[in-house]
Amino acid sequence: MLLLLTRPRYDTPTHYLFYWTGLLIADAKKKGVKVIDLDKDKAEKKKLRSYLSKQPIDTVILNGHGSPETVAGEDNEIILSTGDGTELLKNKVIFVRACDAGAILGKEIMKNGARGFIGYIQPFMFLIDKDSFNKPLEDELATPVLECSNQVGASLIKGKSAIEAHKDSLNKYAETIDKYSSSEATNSFLLPILLWNMTSQVCY
Amino acid sequence: MEEKNETQNPSEDSEDMVNLVIARLETIPPNVELSVGGEGSFSIDELIERVRKQDNLGKKIIEMQLAYLRSLGKLPTQDLQNAPTAN
Repeated sequence: MLLLLTRPRYDTPTHYLFYWTGLLIADAKKKGVKVIDLDKDKAEKKKLRSYLSKQPIDTVILNGHGSPETVAGEDNEIILSTGDGTELLKNKVIFVRACDAGAILGKEIMKNGARGFIGYIQPFMFLIDKDSFNKPLEDELATPVLECSNQVGASLIKGKSAIEAHKDSLNKYAETIDKYSSSEATNSFLLPILLWNMTSQVCY
Repeated sequence: MEEKNETQNPSEDSEDMVNLVIARLETIPPNVELSVGGEGSFSIDELIERVRKQDNLGKKIIEMQLAYLRSLGKLPTQDLQNAPTAN
C-alpha cells in the first residue's frame, strides 16, 4: 500500500491534527506501508497534484480546513476543490478530515471514480484544554474525538475498505459515548461534540 | 383558572432553547476551548456570546446541543421545531 497524507500546521486545529496524524504515520510505517507525508509547507496544491498524478497511491488522507466544495493545505491554500483535481483520486480511497467537505466535494470525488470517500458534512469540532496546547496527544479533552476520527485512518492502514473503516470509527464513537455517559464519568460535556462528529461523518 | 394558550409564540420557544443551551455551556470549565475548523478556537464565553447573537456558529452550537438532548429524549420533537436552525 502507498499512503499519501497532508497535515498542515498553522493554527490551533491544524496543530492538533498534525500531531494526531503523526500517530497514523507511525502506525503505517510499523505495518510496512509506504508513506508520502506532505507536512506543513509541503501540504500545497502543486505537490499534491504531482504525487497523485505520478505515484501509484492507494489511499489518501487529507487534514485541514474545508468547506462543502474545498479542502485546504498550509496557510489555507485550497489544494483540492470541485472541478479542480478530483479526477486525480480515481481508484483511490480518500479520507478528508476537514469541515463540510463530505457535502459536495466527496460526492464529486466518487463520481470521478474513487473507490471510497469518508468525510464530514458539518464542521468538524473538538474541545481542547488550553493548558495542553503544547502536548496535543496528551490533551484529555481532544483525545476522545480525535481517537474516534483517527480510527478511520487506522482501519484504512490495515487494508480495510472505506465502508469498513467508517463503521469501525462509528463503533469507536459509540463506545466512547457509552464511556462518557456512565454515571462515574466526568467531562460529560464532551458528549454533544462526540455525537455531532459521529453523525456528521459520511461514507460514499 | 387561567385558560392555557395552546399556540405558543415561536420566538419565546427559541429564547427558551437559547437559554437552555447557554445554561449547558456554562457548565463547561473555563480552561476549555472549542476548535471549529477554519472558524478558529473559541472560549466558552465567546461561544455563549455567539449563541446569544445566533450567528452561523451560534446556530451550529444550538443545533449540536439540541441534537444531543433529543438523542436522550429530554426534549419533545415539537419543541425543537421552533428552535433556531443553522443554514
